[in-house]
Amino acid sequence: MPEEKNDKELLRRYHEHGDTEARERLIEQYLPLVRSLARRYSYRGEQLEDLVQVGCIGLIKAIDRFDVDRGVELTTYATPNIIGEIKRHFRDKGWAIRVPRGLQELNVRLSNLLEELTVQYERSPTIPELAKAAGVDEEDVLEALESGQAYATLSLSAPSGGDDDSDLDPLESLGTIEHEYEVSEDRAVLAPGLAALDERERRILHLRFFEGLTQSQIAQQVGISQMHVSRLIRRSLEKMRDEIVTEEEPRRASESRR
Amino acid sequence: MTQAIELRIPNERPFHGVARLVVGGLAARHNLSYEALEDVQLALVTVLEGEGYASADEVRVQLDVRDDAIGIAIGPVHGDAVRRELEESSDGDLGLGRLLGTLVEDAGVEAREDGDWLQLSKRVRGIKAAGTNA
Repeated sequence: MPEEKNDKELLRRYHEHGDTEARERLIEQYLPLVRSLARRYSYRGEQLEDLVQVGCIGLIKAIDRFDVDRGVELTTYATPNIIGEIKRHFRDKGWAIRVPRGLQELNVRLSNLLEELTVQYERSPTIPELAKAAGVDEEDVLEALESGQAYATLSLSAPSGGDDDSDLDPLESLGTIEHEYEVSEDRAVLAPGLAALDERERRILHLRFFEGLTQSQIAQQVGISQMHVSRLIRRSLEKMRDEIVTEEEPRRASESRR
Repeated sequence: MTQAIELRIPNERPFHGVARLVVGGLAARHNLSYEALEDVQLALVTVLEGEGYASADEVRVQLDVRDDAIGIAIGPVHGDAVRRELEESSDGDLGLGRLLGTLVEDAGVEAREDGDWLQLSKRVRGIKAAGTNA
């Protein structure tokens, strides 16, 4: 672990005198921390080196935003930033190991095109329109959209609250939760399976199935992409189904015998 | 004129992706919007993956395209259980009735010779492909 005194000195040199060499040294000193945190997440199908790169972005942000006079150690401040960046990477770009890179890239492009075309046409685009805009065949579009399921299954259904998720996850809810929603969804929270969901998942299901909003409307309200809304809806319903099965296994077994 | 496709798959999760792809192919050819396609796929998966709906290890999915709607029939299902879930819906309930009520225009159980089938209907508005001339 880097020496704290040395850290403070380097941070001051960077923040007060614009010494970029000091910044470089801090990054180098904290690389083992980034690597250690990245290793925790590499089992999800991402290359360790890719995650180290992503984690470094979190480290650099932490160094750049660090307030030297706050009396907090850089390690304490940087760790949640690094973890947050890695989690955001999984949330936005994470993929199951079997999805070819070309499909991953096309899925990301389609997600962007979906937003653009929805605005341009003032309605949800069709598959042929997406294919034309992306310069690929319709079948490629369908395959890439389907590949998003692998993404959802791997990167989004990993249980939260595990040892590496137990620290803090500031990015999970940052800027996306409107707390006034809590009141209106009170009744829905009581429904079977909904208790297994986090606040954002419940909110999105509420907007879709109780308020009747479309995916694009929800995307606008929540501040995430339409494709991300789609993944969250699917994941949430899957979690609910799993929860309900666990809770009601005896009843369902009895029904299926009728 | 109607166009129909029938799919017979093991009722196991890996095969549900096949059903989604088939629905996608159909949607592409009939200019369904992305959101409408999502609705149909989600409705289908909700039924296929819901515990206790399908009544056999092998499930059949029939898709038929009419001028103004796509019909999706899934069977055989446990008709009584599905009917009950479609009818029983309380305010805070996010059960089959509310899900399908949001995703498709019509959902009901139909008795056939080979058992009960769940029949869904999604209204399709004809969308002229962007960039084409009238």
